Amino acid sequence: MPIVDTTQLLKGVLDLAVLAVLREEDGYGYDILRRLREAGLEEVGDASVYGTLRRLFAAGLLTTYVVPSESGPHRKYYSLNAAGRDQLTRSGKLWRSFATTMDTLLDDRGMAA
Amino acid sequence: MTVTEQEIANYVGRVRAALADLPAEVRDELTEDLPEHLAEVAAEADGTLVERLGEPEAYAAELRAAAGAPATAAGRNLDQRVAAAVGRARRQARQLDTQLGPLLGYARASEFLRLLRPAWWVVRGYLAAMLVTVITTGGGFGLLPRFGGELVGGLVMLVALVLASIWLGHRSTRLRRWPRWATHAASVVLVVFALAGLANAEDRAGYQDYGYDPISVQNPYERVRDVFVYDSEGRLVEDARLFDQNGAPIRLGYPDCPDPRDPNGTGNPLLRTYPYCPDQAPFAPRAPAAPAPTVPPLGTPTPEPTGTPEPTGGPTATGTPGPGAAVAPNPTATPSATR
Repeated sequence: MPIVDTTQLLKGVLDLAVLAVLREEDGYGYDILRRLREAGLEEVGDASVYGTLRRLFAAGLLTTYVVPSESGPHRKYYSLNAAGRDQLTRSGKLWRSFATTMDTLLDDRGMAA
Repeated sequence: MTVTEQEIANYVGRVRAALADLPAEVRDELTEDLPEHLAEVAAEADGTLVERLGEPEAYAAELRAAAGAPATAAGRNLDQRVAAAVGRARRQARQLDTQLGPLLGYARASEFLRLLRPAWWVVRGYLAAMLVTVITTGGGFGLLPRFGGELVGGLVMLVALVLASIWLGHRSTRLRRWPRWATHAASVVLVVFALAGLANAEDRAGYQDYGYDPISVQNPYERVRDVFVYDSEGRLVEDARLFDQNGAPIRLGYPDCPDPRDPNGTGNPLLRTYPYCPDQAPFAPRAPAAPAPTVPPLGTPTPEPTGTPEPTGGPTATGTPGPGAAVAPNPTATPSATR
């Protein structure tokens, strides 16, 4: 049994990943999920993304707007607001320093990247 | 689009039920967009929501974790308490599922039960055939189905219905909501029918075992509460005991008044003598006898009965006042020896 698997790592960084995806372009729930998966986070679950979006929205980091659709359901788009962009910047820096620390640690112990 | 609005509503309902322990505001906030979101998901690809997203309960758990929702609850209304109870019951069922599994040699009991499903499909077909048998032949039936009393027709019907049941079983996961409910309802009807049939068969077996025991069916003494013995003089015999031909005591009735010699009821009730309740004698006990202690007791009716039976006895009675003649008008002869 692995001590760390992708699912566990995802829990810590899904907020950041969702914010990062939304920085490029606004998106609706399923679209955000697809972009995360295309970016390589294949194990992310729909409920996790939906729950994260609800939480970030409740925390005031996202705004929403509905785009009517002629074929199929209306879509609720999420976009970063100023607070969300701030949060992304701060979390991003934190992550980079954390990742650098981990990289160094693993490099020192002779682990290949 | 293969996913119906109804399916989405259903799915959302189950997710909300699984989140029933959350405060109403939190749960509403978490799930207010869920129908729209699921509609998006449904529009993007094929398959049912459960196939795409997993069971609603698992979805709810993941959603709860991702949203970092607290697990406390306060000031909830009845609906939410009911939903919470349903959620708890589901969790307990799941727990029981995992606990019972190892007993059966499986990780979960449901895994084992799932293996039995094809067997149930066959049984269901058989039960349907038997139901048709009962309907078409009207009542009496054995173990094999008959169609209008015809055994061959019944067997053909049995095979057809078993095959149909298996086919239906394979397709049941793909059925829409109403057909699936109809299938479930029909299954319940068949199970009830099967239970009724089993009870019926059990009853019939019971008659064969015990049906000829006259005591249990109609005991002529079951209404007897007490026994009053009268001697040939019409006197109530007290402290009587009854025995059968083997010397075994015959117990009839039950004492429903205290034993005058045992007012606390500490003695063995089986040793009580008849009558239990002399006060309830159906024929009035003799009036306190006029003292006639010199009269010899039973068996030697005196020719001078001191009463006056002769006028009622007719002309022949004068010479031979038999014991029978002395019964009614013989108060003075009572020796009251048994007192």
